[in-house]
Amino acid sequence: MAKTSLHKWFIIVLTAFISSCTTPYNYTTNSFENTIVIEATITNQLKKQEIKLSRTYKFEDEGPVSETGATVSVTDDLGTVYGFDEENGLYVSATPFKAESGRTYQLHVKTKDGKSYSSTAEKLTTETNLSEIVANVTSKEGVRGVEIRAKSFDPTNSSKYYRYEYDETYKVIAPKWTPYEAIAVPKNTGIAPGDLIIQERTKEARICYSTKKSDAIILTSTNDLSEDRVDFQVRFIPSTDYAIANRYSILVKQFVQNQSAFAFYQTLSKISGSESLLSQTQPGFLAGNIKSDVDSSEKVIGFFDVSSYSEKRIFFNFSDVFPNEKTPEYPYNCPMTLTEAQAKEHMLLYCFETDRNPQCFGFTAYGAISMKKSVYFGGYNFLGRVPDNGTITLEIYDTECGDCTSFSSNMRPLFWVD
Amino acid sequence: MRSLITTIILLIFSQLAFSQDKNSEISIEFNNISRTAALQKIETISKYKIYYQDAWFENNVLISGNYVNKTISEIVSKILDDTDLNFFIDKNKIVLTKNSIIYDSFPDYETNNQSTANKPVKSANPVFFGQFDSVKKSGSKDNNNIVLVGKESNVANTGIYTLSGYLKDIKTGAPLADINVKVRNTAISTVTNAEGYYFLKVPTEVNIIDIESIIYQNITRKVMVYSDGKLDLFLTEKLNQLDEVVVNSKASQNIRTAITGVTTIEAEGIKNIPVILGERDILKVALTIPGVKTAGEGSAGFNVRGGKEDQNLILLDNGTIYNPSHFFGFFSAINPYTVNKVDIYKGGIPPEFGGRLSSVFDITSKNGNVDKFTGEGGIGPVTSNLTFSTPVVKGKSSLLVGGRATYSDWILKTLDDEKLKKSQASFYDLFARYTHKINAKNSIEGTAYYSKDAYSITSDSLYKYSNRMVSLKWKHSFNEKHNGELNVTNSEYKFNIDYDSNNSNAFDFGYKITETQAALKFNYNFNDKHKFVYGISSKLYNVNPGDLKPKDPNSLLMETHIQKEKGLESALFLSDNFKITDKLLLDYGARFSAYSALGPSTQKIYEDGLPKNPSTVVEEKTYGNNEAIKTYTGFEPRIGVRYLFDETFSIKAGYDKTFQYIHLLSNNTTQSPTDTWKLSDLNVKPQSGQQFSLGLFKKTDYKNLELSVEGYYKKSNNILDYKVGANLLLNENLETELLQGEGKSYGVEFLIKKMEGRLNGWIGYTYSRAFIKLDSQFSEEKVNNGDYFPTNFDKPHDFSTVLNYKFTHRYSFSANFIYQTGRPITYPIGQYNYGGAEYTLYSDRNKFRIPDYYRLDIGINIEGNHKIKKLAHSFWNISVYNVLGRNNPYSVFFVTKQGKVQAYQTSIFSVPVPTITYNFKF
Repeated sequence: MAKTSLHKWFIIVLTAFISSCTTPYNYTTNSFENTIVIEATITNQLKKQEIKLSRTYKFEDEGPVSETGATVSVTDDLGTVYGFDEENGLYVSATPFKAESGRTYQLHVKTKDGKSYSSTAEKLTTETNLSEIVANVTSKEGVRGVEIRAKSFDPTNSSKYYRYEYDETYKVIAPKWTPYEAIAVPKNTGIAPGDLIIQERTKEARICYSTKKSDAIILTSTNDLSEDRVDFQVRFIPSTDYAIANRYSILVKQFVQNQSAFAFYQTLSKISGSESLLSQTQPGFLAGNIKSDVDSSEKVIGFFDVSSYSEKRIFFNFSDVFPNEKTPEYPYNCPMTLTEAQAKEHMLLYCFETDRNPQCFGFTAYGAISMKKSVYFGGYNFLGRVPDNGTITLEIYDTECGDCTSFSSNMRPLFWVD
Repeated sequence: MRSLITTIILLIFSQLAFSQDKNSEISIEFNNISRTAALQKIETISKYKIYYQDAWFENNVLISGNYVNKTISEIVSKILDDTDLNFFIDKNKIVLTKNSIIYDSFPDYETNNQSTANKPVKSANPVFFGQFDSVKKSGSKDNNNIVLVGKESNVANTGIYTLSGYLKDIKTGAPLADINVKVRNTAISTVTNAEGYYFLKVPTEVNIIDIESIIYQNITRKVMVYSDGKLDLFLTEKLNQLDEVVVNSKASQNIRTAITGVTTIEAEGIKNIPVILGERDILKVALTIPGVKTAGEGSAGFNVRGGKEDQNLILLDNGTIYNPSHFFGFFSAINPYTVNKVDIYKGGIPPEFGGRLSSVFDITSKNGNVDKFTGEGGIGPVTSNLTFSTPVVKGKSSLLVGGRATYSDWILKTLDDEKLKKSQASFYDLFARYTHKINAKNSIEGTAYYSKDAYSITSDSLYKYSNRMVSLKWKHSFNEKHNGELNVTNSEYKFNIDYDSNNSNAFDFGYKITETQAALKFNYNFNDKHKFVYGISSKLYNVNPGDLKPKDPNSLLMETHIQKEKGLESALFLSDNFKITDKLLLDYGARFSAYSALGPSTQKIYEDGLPKNPSTVVEEKTYGNNEAIKTYTGFEPRIGVRYLFDETFSIKAGYDKTFQYIHLLSNNTTQSPTDTWKLSDLNVKPQSGQQFSLGLFKKTDYKNLELSVEGYYKKSNNILDYKVGANLLLNENLETELLQGEGKSYGVEFLIKKMEGRLNGWIGYTYSRAFIKLDSQFSEEKVNNGDYFPTNFDKPHDFSTVLNYKFTHRYSFSANFIYQTGRPITYPIGQYNYGGAEYTLYSDRNKFRIPDYYRLDIGINIEGNHKIKKLAHSFWNISVYNVLGRNNPYSVFFVTKQGKVQAYQTSIFSVPVPTITYNFKF
């Protein structure tokens, strides 16, 4: 007895001092500073280059406000001026152009309130191309999954600083899809609020393609390596992630940066990264290479980065990577076989009388379908109005189970190869 | 005339002669004079010489009398009324005796009951204690130790008298309760009450009184009891007494010395102060002293008077300890059982110390017991420790060995929780000290110390760090006035990060600093007015800033060795304690220090007038082994002056200049074990500081309260700071991440102390500010637009109190209360979108503050009973840390997760933490 209680005591003490306590902190901005944010990366890819201007915003606000009505231009050392036009909150160069090696470029921004900003002059970095991207099975922090590694090599040993972005696209297959759909048509007579009409689907709803962009800063440097060779994990996907359940594609974009651009992104990611309990990094305002032309103490956020760019795409199927393994589950609750309890939820007797036995679930079924919360799967093998006299039991599922357009896109991307 | 009389009674008996003059008559008158004055007056008007000891009389008792033609014996006997003095007259000598009557004839045992003209009527048998001693209850060898109690009377002898008195602690004067007082070979015994008072009925004879306690040294007194009497005794603590930490006021010393900002904490007494998880901790107690702060609960470092964590010199028996903390700073790595005391110099650093700007924590260890084997230990929920001491050459040399270890690792392994099972947290420290007194003029001492920590934060990394220190001292006395000591010390601090992930990025990283110092110091008491201290010291630093070894042979990680650093810091020092007048004392001196950064090394030279970054390197210069890269020198005057208004009130002022050639790199707001030390070199300048201080010190008669007010103003240069998000580990271009700026701090410290009585403790309040300025012509080297801003540890209001109340000698209650302004923090003031993710826009550095900190701890201390025949003496401590359960924010931080900014606050101990510890001694 004494022994066990002592043991318990130790555990309490240790839990108290090992796990300590991290709690969310309710925070509102008590001293907001409205500052311009300039995102400007131009590359050696011939295209309409894009520059984004926005403003800082309060924590309680939803999102950033685009800075409109500004004049944006990039100049080079030969006196060429590339003008930018405002387009959906973005500033897009009037003509396609690419950064050339040997030239220096400078960014100029003049906002509608008359303030002007310019960057330091920047040069294009070494043009090193992404040589390969591969997908390997590995594990990370004890979780099995697939990693996407980027490989690159610069024999001149001058690239050194790399930043990555990726766009990943994966196929979604709705598990409870049928070629038919039920639409709700309201009416004003009788107890029923409306009729359900079965009809053939008019658009693709079974196969969709979801695309996500990377939102973290992904950086690597070969500074402490013996040669300028990158073999770097850009993305890791756990084997249970539905993203790789069918077919998956990733486009990895490599930006070779100069030291100061790299340092800017590195610091940005460092001061926003998660902290361990007992060690914190000193946060602070991070100055980039863009300054106000008038007031040097004005805070300007952003970096004008002239990077050499390359990209590569790969595809793989789940079975290529994890043969004979259980595919990841669909991210929504769509039971393949129904237990008795689930049957009550998904198999609904379609009638509207209140005193009937067995009980009617017409209001539930009609309501869920009309609100687009649920989708029809089966129970009436004809087209047209579903009779509501209690002869039909409808099988319905959450909309996401039968219609992938509810959370994804049925547009097959142009690059997609099956 | 007032010479000491040593009366060996029996001897006098044999020489007794009847005085013919003893009945001659004199006349005398005195008004309100002391008894001694009255006796002197008799001497002046008569031919008698009177022999006595001044100490027998209380001089504030005044008597009056008018005697006309009285015999000398009548007059003297009147004067001696109400005292326990007797006298006899021998010719023209009057000899006063304490207690005993000098019998002028041998008692006639046969005619005992017959009355004679010369003898009192109801005379009892006179008691000759010498006789009793030799004949009857012999037991003590010491004949000289006879205590006489009461006044021997020729008149009455009831046979049984009352002997009573107080038992007190010889050092503190505190009454001692629950102590056995008994008469040997009898059944007579008693126990002192809460006031230390005892009361015994004893027969009129020589009684051997034994006082027995396991805390105090047993004493035996032979007591000759003549009548009801009082016997107060002072007891000395046994050496193996469980230590009691008393923050030593250095009572009147604090008032007398010329230097300001000095505090001594003695290891005795901190046992009553409630501490976290029952770990007695002398350095944690230091934090309750005004002017000493820490950035947070889990922070290893101290900030003394607005100085950075690296500006404190922590010495254990003269050897530097680089990281005196276990487990991120929750516990200090100094075993409290081996410590004698800590002297903390926050201002007025004596010239013999140098190399750090803000303070010196001079920890002195206990010496072992040269006479017998003793030991003590403690069992707590986190650690257990054992210390023992043994004589090596009896009476000359001793060895003290102590060790402490945690069992947390073992407990973690037994837990069911998988996450906790994988984590690791363990530490231990070992201590050994040898002292040897060779002869009256020479002695040697040696201390060895080792501490080690291992912990893991994530499952695939293991952090380890350790301190090692060895110090040797030879003390030699040239003559009475001149003595010297030679110190040789060696210290090492290292840490290691073992990252064991599954991929090819697994690595092993190590950092190490060692220093070796030799110092010669001399004390020369030139005369009453001048006392000199002078000497020379030299210290060699070796730093290995980092080795990275990939664990996988196919790894692309390159084995990295950042080039080693070497530096030699030497100093000459001289100080004089000059007593100008009794009231004015000047303590002045200087330290001249010189530092050379030594090769082999390659140093980058950056283009003048441009910020240091990889693109402004103009040259790489290579230096050979031991070639001086750069030499810096510093002249460090230290002046302190004291003026004593009276014995209880003084004013002091001081000026100090200090240089520091070594810097701690930490990009955390608080000190952590993986912070690295960097030596000054071509690109990193030494720090320097100046402090002006002024203090008033007063000891009041009321309850012996000690009051002090001290103020200071400090300015420092080349204080190290970092660019935002600086990368400090394994950085070959470290100087490009560093900024050096100016520091400024000031404060007022108030302290009220009461060290005696049932209620004791102290209350301190400090108002202080600490600022830093990082300015440059380049925006990347500018922080907060180049203006002064508060440092991470700027906490203007700091209130702390430590109080202890003793119910009895066995039970006491103690409480700590701490209040501090929340420390500055750089707050997010908005957010922005960049590259598709949300980021936080931060305010100017340290513009806001986290909520205030307060905490109450309580503790109950129970001493084991004082039975003598116990194997070990025990002491229980039950304490509750953070009784109020205050969720003190340790930090508030902001994280970008899935593209959204989230705010978190961490707190270390947000609930009350109860602990029970058991300490024992044998």
